[in-house]
Amino acid sequence: MSMTNSRRSRGSDGVFGAVEFLRAAGEPMLRRFVRTHRGAAYAELRFEASFTRTASAVDGEARDAFESGNAALGVRVRCAAGGGAVGEGFTGVEVGRIALSRTKLAASIDAALAGAFERARCNAREMAALARSVPAAAMKSIALFGEVAPSCERAEIPAIHRRDPRTLNPSELGRACREASAEIAALGREIAYNAVAALSELRHEVFLNTAGANISQAFAFSQGDCYVVAAADGGYQESYDTIGQQRGFECLANDWRDELAPNPGLHRFAVELGRETREVAAAPALKPPDGEVVVVTDPHFNALIAHEIIGHPCEADRALKMEAAYAGRSWFLGSLERNEIGRPVGSPLLWACSDPTLNGYGHYLYDHEGTPGRRVTHIEGGVFRGFLNSRATAAILGAEPNGSARASEAWHAPLIRMSNTFFLPGENDPQKIIAEVDRGYYVCGHLVPSIAESRENFRISARRVYEIEHGRIGRLFRSGSVIADSKRFFSAIDAVGNDLRLVAIPNCGKGQPMQVKRMSNGGPTLRSRARLGGG
Amino acid sequence: MRTTADMRGFVREACAMLARQRDLAGFDVYASSSEHRVARINYTSDIPARGVEEFKSLDADGFAIRIAMAHDPHATGNAAIAGDMTIGAVREALERARRAVIVDPHFPGLPRGPKRLRTIPASAEKSRLMGAKDEILAAAAWRIVGGALAAFRARMKLAMPRPGLVIGGDLSLIRDRIAIGGSNFDDVRNDESARFASSVTALVEALNAKGSATAMGVTLEELNRAGARLGREALIRALALRHGERPRHGTFRVVMGPQPIAEILNYMVVPSLTASAFQAANSAYQGRFGELVMDERISLADDPGAPAGSIHRTITCEGLPAERTELVRHGRLCGLLANTYDAHRLLADERRAEKLGAGAPAEPAFPPHSAYRMGESSARRFDGHPGAAATNLLMTAGAGVSDAELIRAVGDGIYVGRVWYTYPINGQRAGDFTCTISGDSYVIRGGRLAAPLAPNHFRINANISEIFSNPIGIARRPRPAMVWGSPEAYIVPPVAIDKLALSAIASAESD
Repeated sequence: MSMTNSRRSRGSDGVFGAVEFLRAAGEPMLRRFVRTHRGAAYAELRFEASFTRTASAVDGEARDAFESGNAALGVRVRCAAGGGAVGEGFTGVEVGRIALSRTKLAASIDAALAGAFERARCNAREMAALARSVPAAAMKSIALFGEVAPSCERAEIPAIHRRDPRTLNPSELGRACREASAEIAALGREIAYNAVAALSELRHEVFLNTAGANISQAFAFSQGDCYVVAAADGGYQESYDTIGQQRGFECLANDWRDELAPNPGLHRFAVELGRETREVAAAPALKPPDGEVVVVTDPHFNALIAHEIIGHPCEADRALKMEAAYAGRSWFLGSLERNEIGRPVGSPLLWACSDPTLNGYGHYLYDHEGTPGRRVTHIEGGVFRGFLNSRATAAILGAEPNGSARASEAWHAPLIRMSNTFFLPGENDPQKIIAEVDRGYYVCGHLVPSIAESRENFRISARRVYEIEHGRIGRLFRSGSVIADSKRFFSAIDAVGNDLRLVAIPNCGKGQPMQVKRMSNGGPTLRSRARLGGG
Repeated sequence: MRTTADMRGFVREACAMLARQRDLAGFDVYASSSEHRVARINYTSDIPARGVEEFKSLDADGFAIRIAMAHDPHATGNAAIAGDMTIGAVREALERARRAVIVDPHFPGLPRGPKRLRTIPASAEKSRLMGAKDEILAAAAWRIVGGALAAFRARMKLAMPRPGLVIGGDLSLIRDRIAIGGSNFDDVRNDESARFASSVTALVEALNAKGSATAMGVTLEELNRAGARLGREALIRALALRHGERPRHGTFRVVMGPQPIAEILNYMVVPSLTASAFQAANSAYQGRFGELVMDERISLADDPGAPAGSIHRTITCEGLPAERTELVRHGRLCGLLANTYDAHRLLADERRAEKLGAGAPAEPAFPPHSAYRMGESSARRFDGHPGAAATNLLMTAGAGVSDAELIRAVGDGIYVGRVWYTYPINGQRAGDFTCTISGDSYVIRGGRLAAPLAPNHFRINANISEIFSNPIGIARRPRPAMVWGSPEAYIVPPVAIDKLALSAIASAESD
C-alpha cells in the first residue's frame, strides 16, 4: 500500500505540483491581502488538484471513457463595515491548467480574493443600511452572530492506494465495465438494459488561512456503479447500486475485504445485481397489508434510513433553519429552547453516530474549515445527543466544533455534511431476529427515499421485500416500500443485529447550487413496525 | 467571464489545429464560460444568523473536444480542459481524447446540421443582466429580508417574544456563453444567456405559518422588482396561512397548483420523455409512443425560445439550432427530447418496435433539438456530455377554465400549492410517486378556498396517470413555476383531480 502526497518532480505532476507551491507561498499571499485591504479581517484559501479516470459500458458495449485533470480554488474573505456590520464574501473558480503556471495561479488567487472582498463589503454595507431602517430588535439575531474563531491546525495527510489512479491503464477500466455489462446482458431477454461504470480518482487539497492553518490532505477514490432494468411477464424492476472505497482500483478489480465496508469486485457486484433484478422483475408487486406490520430491515436498506432520518436532520445548518427554503428543517430541533437534545427519540436499543475517522467512503481527518473530524454521537440508547456542525453553528449551539463543514469541490462553499453516518450494531444474530417473527416482512436493499419536511416521516422503497411466516423467509415481492413516522419507527425497534455494514453513497445533494458529495451510511439489521407501500 | 470574441477566436484556432490531424475523420470543439452568483438569504429572529450569507460567485471556463477516428467509423474519444483556452491546451486535450478512444458500434458520427447558422444578437435588456455587478445582487437580497421584516412588523402589532420568524432562500444570477465549431460546420457558432431565479420561504413557527414566493426573469428590471416584492409576498402569504387545518387522512378531490404540477412533470414525466429513457426501457410511457398517455385536453412542449420562458437558447450544445419539441399533443405522445447519439441509438435499436409500441409511426424521427451540457448550477458547462434536457416546458390545456371555476368544480377538497421531495418511488417506468404537501395550501369547501391547510400534514402516494389522465378540469392560464435544483423552467396551469389518496404525517414536535 503506498501513500501519495503527489510529491513528484515538477513538470511530471501537472496541476498537483501547485499544492506544494501553495503550502509554501499561500499563507503570505493571504496575509498580504488582508494587510493591504482596509476592513479585511480574515481570509482563507482552499485549493484542490484532481485527476479522474472513468469508463462505462451499456448492454455489453463500450459507451464512454474519460480522463480529466482539474484544479480549483475557493476563497473566503471577512470584512467589517461601519456600525459593526460584518460581511463575508466567497469566490470559487475552476482554474484548471492555469495552475500549471505559478504566476498565473497567484494572479487568479489575488483576483478571487479581490472579488470575495468586494462581495463582503457590499454585503456588510447593505446589512448596515438595513439596520438603520428597522428597529434594533429586528436586527438582534444578526448582531448576536458572533465572531467565529478560525482553525490554526497544521497537518499533512496522504492518500492511500496501491494503484495510483493517474497511472491506471484506461483500457483496464473500460474492459472491466464492458465484460460485466456483457455478462448481465447475457443473463436473459428479461434484461432490457444495463449500464456499468467505474471511476478511479486522486484528489489533493490544501487549506490555508490568515490564522496560520496549513492542512494538506490527499484522497484516492474508486467507485463502481451498476444500473439494470429488467422486464418479465408484465413485471418490471429497475435497480442500481454503488460500491466505493477510498482506495485505488485494487478495491474494484477483486473482492475487497474490510471490516465495516467490504465489497465484491466490480464484475461480481454488477452481475449479482443483474441476477437479482431479473429475479425481482418476475416477482409479484407487493400488495401492502392494512396497518402496521413487523418489518426486519437489512443493513443496505438501513443505510438510507441512517442517511435521510438521522444524518440530514443532524446537520446543524438544517436544524438552525438555514436550509428551510430548500431541503427543510430537522425533527430534532424545533427551536433553541424546544428540541430533542437529551430526550428520547427511539428505543433504548438505538444508537447512531457519524465518524469520519473510520475507513469508509466518507472518511477524512480534517474538514474544509480546518477542524479535525471526530466521532459525533447522535443517538445514545435512544436519547438524542447532538448535531454535526461547522465552526459558526457550533458557536450558536454552544458546542465544540466537530469538523463537519465540507464542500464537494474547492470552488464551492463548505456546508455541513455527513461523513460515515450509521446505526451502531447490537448483539443479535440477524437470522435469529428473523426467526423470532411469526408474521412480518424482510425488507432488503434501498432504492428511492421521500421524506417529510423535517424528516419526521418517510417513505423509502426497497429492492426486495420478502414475506416472513413462522420465522422463515417466504415469497419475494417487488415495488415494496416502508412508510413510517420517524420517532414512532425508532421507538418500536426491538432488535438490533450484530452485522453492521457501511454502504458507499456516491451522490448526496445539498446546497444552492447543488453540491454532490460522497459519503457512507449503514447500520446492522433492525426490527421494528411500519406500514408498507406497494406498487 | 470570457468575451464571445475571445471564445470564438479560440474555437476557430482549435478547429484549424484539429483539421490538420491526419488520424481524425472529424471533430468538434465546445467552449463555455459560465458564472453563477448567489446570495443566500438566511434570517432567523430567534437564532443568530447572518441575514445574507454564502454571497458567492462560481466561475468555470473551459472547453471539450470530441474526435472521430479515421481508421474506424465507430472509434471516438473525448476530453475536456478547464481554465485554459490556448493551443497548448488543445494539444493536451487531443492527447487525452486519443487515450480515451473507445469503439462504440452505435456511435453515429458527430452531429450534422446546417453548415452555417445566423447568430442572433442579444437584446439590450439581456445584456444589462449579463453585466450586473455584485452590489445589485446584494441590494436585492437585503431588500428581500427588509421587505419581509417590514411586512411582519406591519401585520403583527403585538410583539411576540419568540415568533420563530425565518426568511430563507436565495437570489441567483446565472450567466453563460458558449462557442462551438467542428468539422461538420463551416462557421463558429455561439450563444449566451443570462437569467436570475429567486425562491423565498417565510415561516412564523409560533403560528405554524409558512408561505413562499418565487421569481425568474431575464432582465435587470425584473430582478430589481423581485428584490422589492418577494420577501413581503412570502411573509404575507405565510401569515395568511397560519394555524392551518389538519384534516383526517383519506381520498380527496384536489386542485394541484402550478408548483406541484411542475414538480411532478420535472421528476416523473420529463425524464420519461427522452429518447434515452425509451432506449433504456425505463420510460413511464414505454411501448406507448403515438398513444393517448394523458387527457386529450393536455399538450406539452419544450420551447427554448418561448417568450414567457426564462431560459433562452438559440443553439444546442451540439451546435445545432435549439428548437421547439412537441412532446404530447392533445394527450397523445408525439415527440421525445433527444441528442444526436440517443436519437440514433433508439432508431437503430433492434427492439425499437417493442420499446416504442404499436402506435409509433413506421419511420419515427427524433430530431436532436435538446442536447445540453448542463452543470449543477444549470449553467452550460464544458465538461459534461450533451444529454437531452428540456428548457422551458410548456403545458397548455384545451377547454381550460378559470382558476375560480376549477376550485368551484372541486367543491370540497384540498388546494395543493406546494409539494416537496417528489420521487419515482418504484422506478421511473412504474409512474408511482410520493411527496409531501409542504405549504401554500388550502382546504376547499363549498367551491371556495375556505381555510389554510397545515404545512407538512399530508403525504401524497399516487401514480402520474391519476394526475394527468382524467382530470376534472384544467386551468386556462399557465404560469411560471420553479423546481429547486432543476435546470428547466416550467409554465404550467393548475389541474383539478377527482380522487387523490392523502395520508397524514405525525407532528414532529416533542410531547
